[in-house]
Amino acid sequence: MQTDFTAAQLRDPAIREAADILGTCVHYGFCTNTCPTYVLSRDENESPRGRIDLIREMLESEAPPKAQTVAHLDSCLSCLSCMTTCAAKVDYAHLIDRARVHVERRHRRPLAERALRALLGFVLPRPRLFQVALALGRLGRPIQGLLPSRLRPVLAMIPERTQGRILAPQVFEAEGERRARVALLAGCAQQVLDGNINTATIRLLTRHGCEVVVAAGAGCCGSLTLHMGREEEAMAAAAANVRSWMRERRGEGLDAVIVNASGCGTTVKDYGHLLARTELAGEAREVAGIARDVTEFIAGIGLRPAAPERPRLRVTYHDACSMQHGQRVTRPPRDLLRAAGFEVVDVPEKHFCCGSAGTYNLLQPATAETLGGRKAGHIDSTAPDVVAAGNIGCLTQLRRYVGAPMAHTVELLDWATGGPLPPALAGVALQSRPAPQPEEAPAAAAAPAPNDDAGFW
Amino acid sequence: MAEAFFNEVAATIGAEWINRSEETLRRYGENTMPGGDRRPLGVVYPGSTAEVQAIVRAANRHGVALYPVSTGNNIGLGSRSAVHAGQVVLDLGRRMNRILEIDETLAFAVVEPGVSYQAMYDELVRRGDKFMVDVTSGPPQGGMLGNALDKGAGYGPYFDHFGFSCGMEVVLGNGEVLRTGDGALQGSELPNWHVSKYSFGPILDGLFAQSNFGIVTRMGIWLLPRPPAVRSFHFTYPDDDDLAEIVDICRALKLSNFVPTLLRVANDVYLCGSEHPSPDYSPGDRAPISEAGRRALREKDGLGAWTVSGAFYGPSMAALEPQIERVRAAFGKSGKATYIPHEEALGFHALQVAINACSGVPGVGELGLLKWRPGGGNLWFLPGTPMVGSIANECQRISRRIYAEHGMDYMIMNVCSARFARGLHVITFDRENPDENARANACYEALARAYAERGIFVGRAPLDYHALHMGQAMPAFRDSCTAIKAALDPAGVIAPGRYGIG
Ligand SMILES: Cc1cc2nc3c(=O)[nH]c(=O)nc-3n(C[C@H](O)[C@H](O)[C@H](O)COP(=O)(O)OP(=O)(O)OC[C@H]3O[C@@H](n4cnc5c(N)ncnc54)[C@H](O)[C@@H]3O)c2cc1C
Ligand code: SF4
Ligand code: SF4
Repeated sequence: MQTDFTAAQLRDPAIREAADILGTCVHYGFCTNTCPTYVLSRDENESPRGRIDLIREMLESEAPPKAQTVAHLDSCLSCLSCMTTCAAKVDYAHLIDRARVHVERRHRRPLAERALRALLGFVLPRPRLFQVALALGRLGRPIQGLLPSRLRPVLAMIPERTQGRILAPQVFEAEGERRARVALLAGCAQQVLDGNINTATIRLLTRHGCEVVVAAGAGCCGSLTLHMGREEEAMAAAAANVRSWMRERRGEGLDAVIVNASGCGTTVKDYGHLLARTELAGEAREVAGIARDVTEFIAGIGLRPAAPERPRLRVTYHDACSMQHGQRVTRPPRDLLRAAGFEVVDVPEKHFCCGSAGTYNLLQPATAETLGGRKAGHIDSTAPDVVAAGNIGCLTQLRRYVGAPMAHTVELLDWATGGPLPPALAGVALQSRPAPQPEEAPAAAAAPAPNDDAGFW
Repeated sequence: MAEAFFNEVAATIGAEWINRSEETLRRYGENTMPGGDRRPLGVVYPGSTAEVQAIVRAANRHGVALYPVSTGNNIGLGSRSAVHAGQVVLDLGRRMNRILEIDETLAFAVVEPGVSYQAMYDELVRRGDKFMVDVTSGPPQGGMLGNALDKGAGYGPYFDHFGFSCGMEVVLGNGEVLRTGDGALQGSELPNWHVSKYSFGPILDGLFAQSNFGIVTRMGIWLLPRPPAVRSFHFTYPDDDDLAEIVDICRALKLSNFVPTLLRVANDVYLCGSEHPSPDYSPGDRAPISEAGRRALREKDGLGAWTVSGAFYGPSMAALEPQIERVRAAFGKSGKATYIPHEEALGFHALQVAINACSGVPGVGELGLLKWRPGGGNLWFLPGTPMVGSIANECQRISRRIYAEHGMDYMIMNVCSARFARGLHVITFDRENPDENARANACYEALARAYAERGIFVGRAPLDYHALHMGQAMPAFRDSCTAIKAALDPAGVIAPGRYGIG
């Protein structure tokens, strides 16, 4: 695509980068049919290349962004489905992030919208504050009608029950011989919404010979604010993490930074880019280089044989967008769950977002609800015993729509290797599925299940 | 005229299913061909066969031309842009996208136009992965119905997508609905419609492939029981002229159906091109990639001047060992081939594409081809060769010369069946550079002329060249097409100009 930036504009390295990205889009349009907002609306401005055009126009112009443009960019989920499909490998992720920063700086949103965004940007990354806010939110439910309309969907999103556990900086020792020393990104909102994810992760890692450090000074990864266009806040969060983990790495050593929320994982793996123009650039690249999704890491060191006396459950595995499109981690979670003795099935239309997308379901509740319902329909169609996902955002969003219990992948792996039953399965009648046939599955890209009477081979 | 048409359609199907926004018209006109974009008059999204009939009747009344697309992913062949600017795109896939039936006893599916390969694959997996649909190595969001109608092909035993479709429902140009095959029987319970291809009377199905005689709203697609094991094999060959040996070996393997899949015989640029852009090209270059450049590519990516890929199906990987041994012996005779086993091939991006294609798994792995050169231009030139090594090499020489004369990079995959190999020639070019755009066009036309002179026709063509190729056909063929068009679509409302008809 031809762009028309002035020399002065191109002196800004951020604009330069955006211009280069814009130049690579050649309008094949492969991406449109995999973009959830386009498929729902068939509005070209709600498609990746439509947005790419709007971003070009917005960045080239000296004028403040048009309200219509802002609306089309706000409705983008940043799910990155388009990036998986794009033949030209257009770096849409960095382009939309740049566009969001531009909007944040140059566009004045209506007061209610501004207040809501500021509130979310301030509260969500701070677990203790978030805990208080959740409690207040629950109290506020009965008087929802009296609250500003923008707040109502936020209250509706608050789960009935949460099992928060906020981890203090500490070290968890490896069981047996120490094979690796890793830092765990304890995260922010996840700790409040579901503390068991970290507990299970730590048990799983220590059981596999890893010493796990929750490093002092590390906190929110910056992803929530980054996707709201609040770049400075995101960079500050990232810088704090980089400093904290590099202190550990230079001290007792660190083999990996483990992330168990894939939305955060995508951001941490991209710290090299986020902090590229700061004095921490080199260290940020180093941290990014050792960042691993927990399933990627466990697959690398090998899962310990599963504890045998458990029912063989059907796990429907939901790929979080950040996992499949952001980090391209799709095999390790499936391989591990299979190795742990579960039957693993895919969700039809798995390339589609569930509507969670960071703060999207709070800011764009209508689209989020449509997508949540659509995803849940597909999940339910697979008749799961339990649904697994590797991202707290998806779990929180989908628990509102899916009938079956939902657990984080690590909770199931922890259980399978000797840990306790995941809380989501407590009190659920669990029936074992038939064992797989002894024949090996074909080593095609997606290992299909063995067939029975369909054909003669 | 057009306004009256849109008013009538709005009144019948609802105004919300008509889109005439500026962005929509611009984007639906886009394609990758040298002839430029073609802006439609509007886009209409019907929701049922009855609505398609109503729209066709309105088009007849108001003299408006319709251009039906199903999933609209015909990239390199026209995308979803119409034959001429000013036609109304009938986008069937948006709303008519249901899988109407999957018969697990007789292994067939019945689909509406909008069902994509990905959606069918997902549904089959959901049902326990007992069946596979034969896929293309193109866009997963493309679909079985549109692909079959354009005589597209895949790589498994059911590669011939039109051949493995069975029974259609078609809205003709006059608005009548026709059921083909066993479906032609009056009545509504038609158990043989999608299982018997040859019924009473003439076989009308073929009329609706690569034509503009009707709008297909439903089609049966046959499915293959999924083999428990798919074990691929791959051989690389060092020299261009090795193609003759390869083709002769493949013929023997296919004539007896020893190998159940087709054999993909791709050149270096084709395979490397799906991995990364040309390392040799810089904008405005008028020369094709050099011999040294090609050698470097092959070394870097570990592939040959030609790489052959195919697969065996069976009950287990181990059970396929004897077949693998025999195919190795066949390719091993001359000592030129290097074997790449299945497990190793899984680590090669380009070979993984072949494995997916042979396994009925849709994927985006090959789309990178289009990025070989920047600027978004892409054309497919699709002639073929009899499965005779010497003729295949003769074709190779013709193509290499013409690509080189136009400063294009010869990128090809020969897809080998028993008697015939389709030569998938890709022309990837900078569409934003007028000189290169003109050379790509001239290259295509020169190829079309040269192959016609050698007595070889194309099997499918980009929209820009439909008229050119129809002009290459004998008069009686052209006249027959015109006569059929006049009979089935007297007002010429369906895709006038498509495949050079009407
Ligand atoms: C990298 C790459 C690899 C590719 N590999 C392959 C391959 O292996 N095999 C292959 O076949 N193709 C391949 N293609 C070409 C093309 O992308 C696919 O064939 C694609 O499936 C066609 O688009 P579609 O299925 O969306 O069909 P559509 O675009 O919906 O239909 C194709 C055409 O058929 C006509 N048509 C569609 N629906 C109807 C209807 N209901 N009634 C009447 N006429 C209709 C229209 O003229 C339409 O333009 C490849 C392309 C690329 C870029
Ligand atoms: S983003 Fe990629 S696939 Fe989408 S239009 Fe641009 S180049 Fe094409
Ligand atoms: S990130 Fe997701 S919602 Fe946004 S343009 Fe890409 S596919 Fe569409």
